[in-house]
Amino acid sequence: MRMKVLRALVPGLLVVAGLLIAACGGSDETSTSGTSEAAKQYAAPTEAPSDAQSGGDLTVIAASDVDYIDPGAAYYQFTYMVTSATLSQLEGYAPADVEGPTPLLATEAPTVSDDGKTVTYTINDDVKFSPPVNRTVTSADVKYAIERSLLPGVPNGYVQTYLAGVEGIDKAIKEAQDNPTGGAPDISGITTPDDTTLEIKLTNTTSIGVIGALTLPVSAPVPEEYAKQYDAENPSTYGEHQVATGPYMIQNACVADDGSIVSKKCDGELTGYTPNKEIHLVRNPNWGGEAGSPPDWDFRPAYLDQVTIQEGFADTVSASKKVLSGSAMVNGDFTTPPSAIKQAATSGEEGQLTLTPSGGNRYVALNTQSPPFDDINVRKAVLANSNRTDLRNTRGGELTGPVATHILPPEFPGFEEAGGLEGPDLDFIQNPDGDPELAAEYMKKAGYESGKCEGPDCEITMVGDDSPPGSDTAAVVKSQLEQLGFKVNFQKVTHDIMYTKFCSTPSNAPEVCPNVGWLKDFNDGQSMLDPTFNGANVVPENNSNWAQLNVPKINKAIDDATLIDDPEQRKQAWGEVDDMIMAEAPVIPYIWDDQANIQSADVAGVVNKFNANWDLAYTSLKP
Amino acid sequence: MARYIVRRLLWAFLMLIAVSGVVFVLFYVFPSADPAQLRAGRQANEDQIQAIRESLGLDKSVLEQFWIYIKGVFTPFDLPGTDATGPLYFGHSYQSNADVKDVIFSDLPATALLVFGAVIVWMAIAIPTGIISAIRQRSLLDRTTMVTTLVFISAPVFWLGLVALYLFAQDVGIIPIFPGIGSYADADSFPAKCASMILPWLVLAAATAAIYARYLRSQMIDVMQEDYIRTARAKGLPERRVIAKHVLRSAITPIVTLLGLDVAVLLAGNAILTETVFNIPGVGAETFNAIKRSDLPMIQGITLFGAFFIVTLNLVVDIVYAYLDPRVRYE
Repeated sequence: MRMKVLRALVPGLLVVAGLLIAACGGSDETSTSGTSEAAKQYAAPTEAPSDAQSGGDLTVIAASDVDYIDPGAAYYQFTYMVTSATLSQLEGYAPADVEGPTPLLATEAPTVSDDGKTVTYTINDDVKFSPPVNRTVTSADVKYAIERSLLPGVPNGYVQTYLAGVEGIDKAIKEAQDNPTGGAPDISGITTPDDTTLEIKLTNTTSIGVIGALTLPVSAPVPEEYAKQYDAENPSTYGEHQVATGPYMIQNACVADDGSIVSKKCDGELTGYTPNKEIHLVRNPNWGGEAGSPPDWDFRPAYLDQVTIQEGFADTVSASKKVLSGSAMVNGDFTTPPSAIKQAATSGEEGQLTLTPSGGNRYVALNTQSPPFDDINVRKAVLANSNRTDLRNTRGGELTGPVATHILPPEFPGFEEAGGLEGPDLDFIQNPDGDPELAAEYMKKAGYESGKCEGPDCEITMVGDDSPPGSDTAAVVKSQLEQLGFKVNFQKVTHDIMYTKFCSTPSNAPEVCPNVGWLKDFNDGQSMLDPTFNGANVVPENNSNWAQLNVPKINKAIDDATLIDDPEQRKQAWGEVDDMIMAEAPVIPYIWDDQANIQSADVAGVVNKFNANWDLAYTSLKP
Repeated sequence: MARYIVRRLLWAFLMLIAVSGVVFVLFYVFPSADPAQLRAGRQANEDQIQAIRESLGLDKSVLEQFWIYIKGVFTPFDLPGTDATGPLYFGHSYQSNADVKDVIFSDLPATALLVFGAVIVWMAIAIPTGIISAIRQRSLLDRTTMVTTLVFISAPVFWLGLVALYLFAQDVGIIPIFPGIGSYADADSFPAKCASMILPWLVLAAATAAIYARYLRSQMIDVMQEDYIRTARAKGLPERRVIAKHVLRSAITPIVTLLGLDVAVLLAGNAILTETVFNIPGVGAETFNAIKRSDLPMIQGITLFGAFFIVTLNLVVDIVYAYLDPRVRYE
């Protein structure tokens, strides 16, 4: 879920942001409860209104397509917007869930054995697959869903990380890689003693990471007898033939627009999905509930009849206008640009604009392995000098989120323990507008007598985005570095090239990566801090530890924290890890993003706090 | 004539291979995102990325990849590691796994409607404007039309598109009279699709009509100086007949060349800005997505497809030339 960059913001972003703040009477004040004042003012509803109406069709306006239509590979907020309506993973997230999930396919939260090495789920016995499969889901379908995610043809980006402690997974991975079209490999540590029991045996006590990962779409059941023909292809084509277990399904030839079964024996190929163009959701006739009245095992009310996701709206300004002035529409994958936020805040009807903490952050990574940033005092000087308010403003100002003071975002386990909005007690992070005098002191400590960087090490390379708002952020970073005497060679490339060719490839990494950030996988510090700051995770390619921080005591603290089972102790541990990281000054955190969502005036939208997007299974049209 | 056509087709075949080679080289020489890493996801390890690289055939040498591609497109042989055989096998999208040929063919109707509609609009504007300006040189009408055309030539298409949307689109416009962004996808009949294209046609036609009008004007002014035109007038032919039968027929020949190239280029995905601004699901919008996601098979397929159009329409234009200008003969 690498952060998608908004590429279509209008020029004059800062001016608009200023106007916006003025229009809203905003200030930089933030509460101490973990949410900015702006986010409070425009807080999204997390439950449907009591008089929510059943029926109606909703259109989701989106700029791009989902990352993968295959639930085994889906790994992006916008994709979760679809999967949370069409699939039923073991545990899911109701809109208000922040710290923990709610059992969905499972009857209750999993039990963990006393030694912490066995996780057991009991699943509901009355969940059915959509046509053409039409049969009851069993625990074997969940096992198959997890196993198929190891196939190279199902490019899952997280299972091998979080399920690394599952018994037999290494053997299964090898088997899958040796024979990519030979079917899903068996993971010996996952067993199904009966049709409703799923047992997962671990090699160590890492159950929280495993349980967290299984809240994601990979644990949504997949019927082996139906899917194996598609999984024998590389890449797998099961995604284009997928069956649903949620209240909605991506339309196939078996089901009509109104959700009625046309044929029980169609080939299952999706007719409601055209890549980069449209996803059409209709009601799943086998779900078992009615609109607004879910079956006993499910918590999603599913008011709408149909949802059409229209893609290709590259100009997010006009797309936002369309949503705000239109009927029965919400935004999809794009964050509302500042001009549209202003329109919604000043002239829109109440509720048309909502702000929700995204569970992500953005920061400037300093390469701790490369001079001059291998010197901690130089890094502290850069942080002290940085005007993070200016950096935040390049993203759109206060309404796009509070100025970050550390890594873990608001409303996230460990956030308060890491210092909340005020951040850790570190002098170089205290002033969001920058402290040049303190910066000069740190530069002197680093051996630069003038308080400014001098010498060949001070000629540095920065690789950043070639389009706004990322390029605006990079330009401000460059200016701030130059204030400290650095000579910055700023290379502009596309966002994807920036990651894959430069910042995520340590052998080719520049000294500064100004446009990186991380979004949680699930609500646990492991998903925020382990990939990004554990020295053990610095890898030759696809590296996410962009600062290349490799401090043994931090690595150990991270490893220890992943093994803690008690939620309170775990929060405390991750908060402390966050503090330890910030004390090393490897990055300049400048914003915890609030996701700005918009809806037409006749939509009663509900935002799911887990992925900060509209929850299609809770959203309805106003009576 | 037949020999000429066969010779041109052979050259076209070689040119398409050369175009494929150039796209391959460009993709590998210039920095582009790593498709395997993009596909693998942010936490995938080296082994996973390598497995994906192998499944996409990216582990092979560039030359080998090129050979496999050429085999798929131009020959009927089996392809290793795929269940597809050529010819006309362009591969599958790295991003969506969709068959490139299917995607292009499904995008083509929208692009064709956009392009041919716009051609009708711009020719309907350019020909009368060019003729009137040519026969009434330096008149107020001539000066006004030439200044207006200059404005449209200077206006970037994406800007003109946005202005048109904010003025006239039903969803976001101040005077909501024409279907707006994304209306093509909503339209379920041919008349509705045509209605959804009104603004895109006008925008795409604006700059091109202006160029054609100016070009036709200057061509006609040149032709009107020719002796045979003076002779025609001296013979007592009516002025209307002189202009329509003698001047226009000669002056329009280069316009046909231009038209052939423009249509080919637009069908090849160069209506990218118009399609993106109005969210028309055509070849141009597909090009935009493919470039954004470093989707080489899709970029390659669209480029080859475009080259094919350009070569073919060039050939058609050359044949039409023979009919328009009796002096042209092909040996």
